[in-house]
Amino acid sequence: MKKITDAIIAKTSEVILGKQQQIKLALACILAKGHLLIEDLPGMGKTTLAHTLAQVLGLQFQRVQFTSDLLPADVLGVSVYDRNTANFKFHPGPIFTNVLLADEINRATPKTQSALLEVMEEAQVTIDAVTYTLPQPFFVIATQNPSSQIGTFALPESQLDRFLMRITINYPDAASERQLLQSNGGREQLAKLSPVIDATQLQALQSACHDIHVSDALLDYLQAILKYTRQSAQFNAGLSPRAGLSLKQCAQAWAMLDGRDHVIPEDIQSILPSVAGHRLVSNITLTGSVDNIAQLLKSVAV
Amino acid sequence: MAKGLNLSSDTSLKPDFKLNSPKTWFRTAIAIDSTTTLSRRHIYILPTRFGWLYGLLLIGLLTGSINYSISLGFAITFLLAGLGLIGMLHTWRNLANLKIEAKRANPVFAGEQAVFEFNVIDDSNRARYSIFAAFADKESDIQDIPALGESTFRLSLPSQKRGWLKAPRITLSTEFPVSLFHVWAYAETENQCLIYPHPSLRSQILPSADTDGATGQLSTTQGDDDFAGHLNYQFGDSPKRIDWKASSREQGMLVKQFQGEASSTLWLDFNATTGNNIELRISQLTRWLVDADAQQLKYGLRLPQHSIQPNSGAAHYHQCLTALALM
Amino acid sequence: MTNKAGTQTNLSMHAIIWLLLSLSITFTLYAFNLENWVPACFVVFAIWRYLIEKNNWSYPTLWLRFPLTIAGGLAVLLTYGSLFGRDASVALLAVMISMKLLETRTKRDFIVMVILSYFLTVNILLFTQAIWVFLAVLLALTGLTACLISVSHQSMQTNISTQVWKNHFKVQVKLAGKLLLQATPIMLVLFVLFPRIPGPIWGIPQDSYSGMTGLSDSMEPGNISQLSLSSKIAFRVEFKSAIPANNQLYWRGPVLWHQEGRRWQMASDRIPLPMETLQTSGSATDYTITLEPHNRNWLLMLDLPEISASTLPAEARVKHDMQVLSKEPIRTRIRYQGSSYLQYKLGAELSEHERTLALQLIEDENPKTRQLAAQWISEKKSPTAMVEAALKMFREQEFVYTLAPPRLGKEPVDDFLFNTKRGFCEHYASSFVYLMRAAGVPARIVTGYQGGEINPNGNYLIVRQSDAHAWAEVWLQDRGWVRVDPTSAVSPDRIEMGIGAALTDSDLLPLLSRQDYPMLKHLYMNWDAVNNGWNQWVLGYDQAKQLALLKKLINKDIAWEDIGLILVVSMIALMLFVSYLLLSNKGMVLNPSNRIYQQFLKKLAKAGVTKLKHEGAISFGQRAAKTLPNQASEILEISALYSSMQYAKQANSKITNIQSLNLLKQLVNNLKV
Repeated sequence: MKKITDAIIAKTSEVILGKQQQIKLALACILAKGHLLIEDLPGMGKTTLAHTLAQVLGLQFQRVQFTSDLLPADVLGVSVYDRNTANFKFHPGPIFTNVLLADEINRATPKTQSALLEVMEEAQVTIDAVTYTLPQPFFVIATQNPSSQIGTFALPESQLDRFLMRITINYPDAASERQLLQSNGGREQLAKLSPVIDATQLQALQSACHDIHVSDALLDYLQAILKYTRQSAQFNAGLSPRAGLSLKQCAQAWAMLDGRDHVIPEDIQSILPSVAGHRLVSNITLTGSVDNIAQLLKSVAV
Repeated sequence: MAKGLNLSSDTSLKPDFKLNSPKTWFRTAIAIDSTTTLSRRHIYILPTRFGWLYGLLLIGLLTGSINYSISLGFAITFLLAGLGLIGMLHTWRNLANLKIEAKRANPVFAGEQAVFEFNVIDDSNRARYSIFAAFADKESDIQDIPALGESTFRLSLPSQKRGWLKAPRITLSTEFPVSLFHVWAYAETENQCLIYPHPSLRSQILPSADTDGATGQLSTTQGDDDFAGHLNYQFGDSPKRIDWKASSREQGMLVKQFQGEASSTLWLDFNATTGNNIELRISQLTRWLVDADAQQLKYGLRLPQHSIQPNSGAAHYHQCLTALALM
Repeated sequence: MTNKAGTQTNLSMHAIIWLLLSLSITFTLYAFNLENWVPACFVVFAIWRYLIEKNNWSYPTLWLRFPLTIAGGLAVLLTYGSLFGRDASVALLAVMISMKLLETRTKRDFIVMVILSYFLTVNILLFTQAIWVFLAVLLALTGLTACLISVSHQSMQTNISTQVWKNHFKVQVKLAGKLLLQATPIMLVLFVLFPRIPGPIWGIPQDSYSGMTGLSDSMEPGNISQLSLSSKIAFRVEFKSAIPANNQLYWRGPVLWHQEGRRWQMASDRIPLPMETLQTSGSATDYTITLEPHNRNWLLMLDLPEISASTLPAEARVKHDMQVLSKEPIRTRIRYQGSSYLQYKLGAELSEHERTLALQLIEDENPKTRQLAAQWISEKKSPTAMVEAALKMFREQEFVYTLAPPRLGKEPVDDFLFNTKRGFCEHYASSFVYLMRAAGVPARIVTGYQGGEINPNGNYLIVRQSDAHAWAEVWLQDRGWVRVDPTSAVSPDRIEMGIGAALTDSDLLPLLSRQDYPMLKHLYMNWDAVNNGWNQWVLGYDQAKQLALLKKLINKDIAWEDIGLILVVSMIALMLFVSYLLLSNKGMVLNPSNRIYQQFLKKLAKAGVTKLKHEGAISFGQRAAKTLPNQASEILEISALYSSMQYAKQANSKITNIQSLNLLKQLVNNLKV
């Protein structure tokens, strides 16, 4: 299994240069069956990462560019009256796919955002009292620009919680950037990329992820972290039980990527900034910064 | 006894010695990584007045036993003496090795009672009974702590100034189980409570959203579609909002109130407040903030150093108040 | 103290129940020793206080309490004639405590009450120190301690369910028991080692010993039979050799010479008499007597003791008539050794002075008896024949041995010998001696005890007050003082088999002196063996015993002053040990692998690599391996193994787990930094 996941990471790294850690996190998020939010400035390769992952995992891929005039129906689909059959016919939207890339999600109106987030939660679409099930596996990779940008509708806290992870990509290091500049950019390679696994194999990986052992000692550590966030004056509000569950699932996925059959505290420490960062609101600066998470990790004994 | 148990000195844990109050001479347990541990050297013990009375009882019984040569009297006297000693150890260990964890305090407005909460934790697998916590003998709370469990103590303190209010030193004490000995320890915790500025009285009305943004008060009227009700006209209200129809029905001057998703955006500007006293101006701004939130307006805050984009909702409200508190 | 008012009601309900329960025990004990109205007074006030608590009645005002207090004090004054003295002051304390119940409501009141009640409860030991009293006192102390705990437990919720309420009860009594149990080692060390100063430090109130029974220094018809009604133990005897036959067991007490009407008294000490000579034959019988306090000077001895200073208790002396006296009245239980000869010849010569005393009679009394004596003299009977004649008279005429003789008239000896013919040993002994003296044979009365009961469980003899006896000694030429027991002529069983066998109307006797109920007797014997040990080692533990015990323990002679040093040293050692047990903080419970890992961490810390508390085992291992490249592989192996033991799925078989544990231990031990 380690071979497969290593192969996925290696393949993706061919396109996304020098971002091993981010790729691993994104993959862990997918293995834990969660939705991923990539937040960074434009041009950092957010879209490429999402696209590459879908390609490598052999998944159906759809992309929606979110704009302020995007309507829920543009994402979910519409029922149109068919004169021939004298019936309403449902035209599925781009959401009926395995991987939906919701580009610049914070440019859409809250209405559209809510519609998407609802589907993310339920994995089904209900239009005109008819329920349409989405294909499996299904997940959303959303990208967003930092909230400080003008003309955006920042996702409210309650909706951020729907994303299992939030990652940032950051500037590449000098060597990777040089390599990138020497090539013609990642997009060209993207077309040539062949999938490493297919959807069925991915689902097998996901279920294997569930079987990664979590010992009592580890749960003690996890609970200590949760308790700390709930008590410390550092944070405005603590992590929810759902966040706790997310932490566990991500740690399991991370352990699997490391080729281990059990979770160790280091796994939690690795995924914590990505999983908890967007759920914790600092009391002082009101932005869940990595500094705060680092402080949190330092304060909780293993 | 106090001396005997506490002589071991540890330079790292010594508090600053201030000679102004004898109480500061005692060693205080300080918080390390937000947890304060009452270790052996932080605990002081003295007999209570009942302890002295008990000592008198023992002396009486002993002299009686000697005088009357009652062998069994010796036995019972010594049993009671043993009870006193064992009781002393039990009282001591009822407090020893407790851990105190500061909990988050909810922010309050200056003048209100700041409530500090902290968890007192036992990790020695012994239930603790009748633990008192107090701020300098004023406020006190009393709790039992289950074995390997925790109890939350709640102590309040009147707040005066905006900004962070650090919890003063806590005195934890107990006399359980025999009330013959008083055991106490001082602990510093990382409890702190954010004190929002005190909102001034309703002297100045909320700046109108209608005036032009030149003075920093911007408005968009497009969203004013949801009629929310009437208010009595006050000097300064926008004439556009006066319900002339209602006034013509001789119901007095009424002002229409609107509300809605995209209602008017209000800028609360520090420069819009008047006066020389910064604190009073902040108070004024706080009052506006409170009123704006009560009317569910969308508002932004503009302070000399930085500004907060217009928004509404609880998080935004607290963000603005925090900015004011820490200005 | 903001919560104080809120928790008040529940605080006092628990406390009041504990206080009343334990005081009930105390007052039950006092019911046997104080005037009945004192415990009754407690019952009234206890019920009153309980109802106040239960029905939320108001507390009585000062205007009610003040007159009650005065009345209580007056009642004690009237009953006991004073407010001082043992009984009166204890009664006063008891009454005041009962009344104080009515104003006990705050924590302070309760604690003061508990401390006063401790005092009152311990004071019962002034009256009695039996085992069961001790146990009852312990019970009361536990209850009082539980009361103290319940008032100290101020954090109890105001509205708590019955279940929790009952739970609190359990917790409180458990803790009280625990505290007292933990105090026991301290008690034992102090009890054994605390230097025993022989009291008293100051005068002891006169009434302190009024409860003690025993032989008195004079005898009147009726007072020995009175004594026989008591089953109290007079003394216990352990024999070094076989126990002599019952009819040999004459325990010598006061010897009475002087007759005055019905009354026989000891010879005055002012009359100097020569020591009677003693010739013994046969082997000596050695024994140890544990004498119960009787507030008199006599030390009882088996007839007839050999007099040598070494065997006598300290400061005892022997009177000329072989009576052994202590210097001070016996007020505590004492133990002494004796050595006696059953065959002896006492007083070969009789001085004139002695003869006069031994023939002394009040003139003009008992004419019939004198007439009989005169008749024997005129018959020229020898003294031996006279003794025989008297005994024959007792044996052959219808004399009856009874505990309930009829009252005797103005001439008691005449009345007894010729009229009623029913009497107890003192009647027989006194009339026999009277008759002998009237007939010119020197005679005297010896009081003491006869017989005893063998306790098979301890192989010792119990002698009770019911075994009290009086017999006669007559002086015969060439034979000296010869013991004559006229009772044996009337009732040989009394001498052969004990008083229980001798009396026909035995229901007057104490239950345990009777011969029926063998089961009961058997139980009693076991119980008495326990009691004997209790008396020897607890109640009788004094300076001498203390020194003897220490000598045995340390195998060296110890000065009395050194005991203090031993006490201090052992107390410090004990307190350190107890403190260690109670105060050591075991902290979190570590699992075995964790414990080994801690050793590993210690080793690395010595080498300068300290694990941060938030570091996981693996990442710390990697860091340590980088710092200590020489041991890198070992460190990494240990870290990986420990991490998998902590976090990986554990194998179901115990053996695998133990194997990996051993492996970890081995790796850590082999690691050299």
